[in-house]
Amino acid sequence: MTTFQSNPGSNGGQQAQGEQGQAGFGHRVDRIGSDAQQLWDDARGAVTDLNASLDLKGRVERNPYMMLAAAFGVGYVLGGGLFTRTTARVIRLGVRLAALPMVKDELLGMAEAAMRGVEVGARGMNDMTGAGGGGASGGGSERQ
Amino acid sequence: MDVNPQHLQDKARQFQENMVPQLEEARRNLEDLNTRVVSFVRANPGTCLLGAVAVGFIVGRIASRR
Repeated sequence: MTTFQSNPGSNGGQQAQGEQGQAGFGHRVDRIGSDAQQLWDDARGAVTDLNASLDLKGRVERNPYMMLAAAFGVGYVLGGGLFTRTTARVIRLGVRLAALPMVKDELLGMAEAAMRGVEVGARGMNDMTGAGGGGASGGGSERQ
Repeated sequence: MDVNPQHLQDKARQFQENMVPQLEEARRNLEDLNTRVVSFVRANPGTCLLGAVAVGFIVGRIASRR
């Protein structure tokens, strides 16, 4: 600032040049200020747009645990835990848990078929042995 | 081995009578905890998300060192 102040002892040409330089500097400062203001407004607008499009608050409101899990996953990936044995184990466990309902249905079907087979076999034995097959029949009914 | 069905039944009933109130109390406590956690997360979403990211980062760091 002191560089552009006019010197009382100098001549008129130098004074005019100094005033012109001061005006140029002030203009430049104004432009930098307005640019900075524009940048700040743009950044704020971008953050507001991002906030509106992500809608983090609304998502947390709707699914708090899901969002916490997603944030945990993001942190886990950022921490470099993606391509590790722990991740492989977790994925394997998840696949098994996801496949459990299907396997359960299959196993239940097989068990029902086996029980039906045992029942039919016991009935056949009962028919073959006559009165002596009462115990087998009783065993079959107990199993049911 | 002598097994008295009546005795077993009584034992089972006694066990059930002892366990049911405890289970009910545990369920109520869990529901209360769930409500408090959900309300806290809803009240402070940014803090909770940042905390979850930090915890995930630490766990990922530990997992990658193994």
